[in-house]
Amino acid sequence: MERTHRVRRRVAATVCAAALVLPLTACDALTPGSAAAVPGPRSVPSSTAVPDGDTTLRLQFADAPLMVDALIAAFEKGHPNISVEPQYKTFSDYVQNLKLTMTSDTAPDIAQYAVGMTDLAADGHILDLAPYREAYDWDKAIPPVSLDQLTAGQTSEATGGRALFGVPAGLSMTGIYYNKELAKKAGIDGPPKTVAEFEDQLAAAKNADLTPLGVGALDSGGLHLWAALLNQLMPTDDYWDWVNGTKGATIETPAAVTASKMVIDWGRKGYYNDSANGTAQVDSTAQFAKGDSVFLINGNWAAGQLATVMGDNVGFFPMPGEKASAPTVASGFSVSYAVSSRTEHPEAAGAFLDFLTTPEAGQIISDNGFMPPNPDAVKKPEGVLADIAEGHRRAVADDGITTFPDFAAPAMLDRLRSGVQKLIANRIDPSDYLDSLQDEWEEHHAE
Amino acid sequence: MPSRPPVQQPPDVRVRTTEVRVQSQAPRRRSPYRGYVYVLPAFAIYFCFAVLPALHTAYLSLFEWDGVTLGDWVGLGNYQEIFQDSILRRSVLNALVLVVFFSFIPIVVGLAMTGLLARFRRPGMGAYRFLFMLPQVVPLVAVGVTWRWLYGDDGLVNQTFRAVGLDGVTRAWLGDFGAALIAVGLVGTWVLSGLCMMLFLSGVQKVDPSLYEAARLDGAGPVREFVSVTLPHLRGEIAVAMTVTTVAALASFDIVYVTTNGGPGEQTTVPGLLVYRLAFSEGKVGLAAALAVVLGCLILGIVYLINRLSRSES
Repeated sequence: MERTHRVRRRVAATVCAAALVLPLTACDALTPGSAAAVPGPRSVPSSTAVPDGDTTLRLQFADAPLMVDALIAAFEKGHPNISVEPQYKTFSDYVQNLKLTMTSDTAPDIAQYAVGMTDLAADGHILDLAPYREAYDWDKAIPPVSLDQLTAGQTSEATGGRALFGVPAGLSMTGIYYNKELAKKAGIDGPPKTVAEFEDQLAAAKNADLTPLGVGALDSGGLHLWAALLNQLMPTDDYWDWVNGTKGATIETPAAVTASKMVIDWGRKGYYNDSANGTAQVDSTAQFAKGDSVFLINGNWAAGQLATVMGDNVGFFPMPGEKASAPTVASGFSVSYAVSSRTEHPEAAGAFLDFLTTPEAGQIISDNGFMPPNPDAVKKPEGVLADIAEGHRRAVADDGITTFPDFAAPAMLDRLRSGVQKLIANRIDPSDYLDSLQDEWEEHHAE
Repeated sequence: MPSRPPVQQPPDVRVRTTEVRVQSQAPRRRSPYRGYVYVLPAFAIYFCFAVLPALHTAYLSLFEWDGVTLGDWVGLGNYQEIFQDSILRRSVLNALVLVVFFSFIPIVVGLAMTGLLARFRRPGMGAYRFLFMLPQVVPLVAVGVTWRWLYGDDGLVNQTFRAVGLDGVTRAWLGDFGAALIAVGLVGTWVLSGLCMMLFLSGVQKVDPSLYEAARLDGAGPVREFVSVTLPHLRGEIAVAMTVTTVAALASFDIVYVTTNGGPGEQTTVPGLLVYRLAFSEGKVGLAAALAVVLGCLILGIVYLINRLSRSES
């Protein structure tokens, strides 16, 4: 009995020791990440000529499958020797696996641009498209501001100018929807010209016993509201510096404090739906469509649904500035596509990206509820879609499309979401909230 | 009740096992390693799929790694960060509050239901068991989505309050700073009460019916009978239920992720959710691994404590 016990203990000890020592002795090879080769910055070739012969491109994406199918069909018609194979993933799956997918040997040729792409671009896992920007003259077809969102904060080694890591198909933008019937009931006669006027309208709606503003703060509706106010108060360049991680940038500014205070004040005055913090964005949209609130903060992605349900009863305006003469500034991004540096067909991928900038593609994008990069090339939309197109046109003209604040760091989305929830419930001081954001920012941009 | 199997079976079995043991003494002495050979297949699988990944996690926790590029060795730095981060500490506290709802209340409810259902065997017992077991069969994500609707603005919970005139109580339960954690906890109570009841009911069936008969002859009422006969016999099952439900509370993820995603603020943030977020969306794999190791140790410690307590009592 004693002997077996000893043997058992000895075996157990050996196994444990082996398990501990094995990985440690081979430390170098086992350092996490050592298997992924870092190709370093790489760009597309200077030639745009697509080689002869049949080519298949694999395209992985997470948004608007119907639009992608239609785009592919139209592209293949014009390029019979290139076929594009779409691989759809749900958004959360896509984002979570993005880094693994793009660093694997089986990376797709083309992939939808998402938050993690900045790191991938820095390590050379996606191609710098700057040479094609010049060769295809994309600046003519796409507002430069939309391309400048896709530089990953880098300079192109190939052209010396700004790098480019994606080409946008549909563009997006946030703003305020309003229910025309309810607005009239509250004595509101049209979109406000200034933030102060908007506040008066919210108060008027409250006095008329209506819920003034629908916010879906359970997920990202709250941060859209905060960012919309911040856009009006903080100089756009400072905001860009912060989101892009420029050295020395900070969100702890008086303007940001004021914006955060406004979110608190509006909550205290009862301007939001009672359960804003427990309502998802989709649900806040559905409630607005039912007539539960006069205004709604959301993005153009909700327009299709609202136009279908509410018809002419819904309108849209970008958050107005402090003065009527202020430029239109709104947060927005794009459904964009990047090219893997592992692709064997960069020229064919370039041809596909160039197709996205054509009027034909623009019409497909517009038909699917997104804003095409080049609005002049498509049929004029109607109703609320026309309001959005007009708002976007003004913002682009004023160089006022900014990215969403969560692009500042991978963990920023969670900080923003929970922070704005606290602002809405008046549970945090604006300075503490901004401090938590800046902490996260500094941690990410420390390297 | 007369159809139950004879009660004398346990002693029989015991006699036979001793015989087997006596017989097997001789060959085992000749080859002390023989036992390990039998264990080897199971051990190999366990080692590859449970021990090795756990060790790998512990190893990763010593690096600062974004999941893609080369990691940096930081030693115990990640652990230091865990104990300094207020959100991480907050999440552990939330998990401990959830233990009340996932473990304590379900066990009390399970015991109460066992007391009601076990005393007499009536036709239709199977139907009850099926109903109370149902929450266990439904995937937790579906449970979460359903409860999100129930707790919603116009959900059944608020409708019920309005119907009885308690309009002042209604709120968006999952978005309310005071109510969110309790609301999430009650979902856990709903899911796990059935499991506890099932465990206890099966435990009660082993109790010798003559004990109940004796208690009744001595004039014990239903409460006395429950306390003096049923409860002591369920000690093992209670320990199992406590272990399973406590682990479910401390390692909870799916219900929280689907209903509140940790909000509002950090009111319902639990360690499991943070491990997931850190590893998959924030690119801090090392920190996530360190948190997972700490969480694992905490769970092992508490489970050890539960087992120790239930053993020393007997």
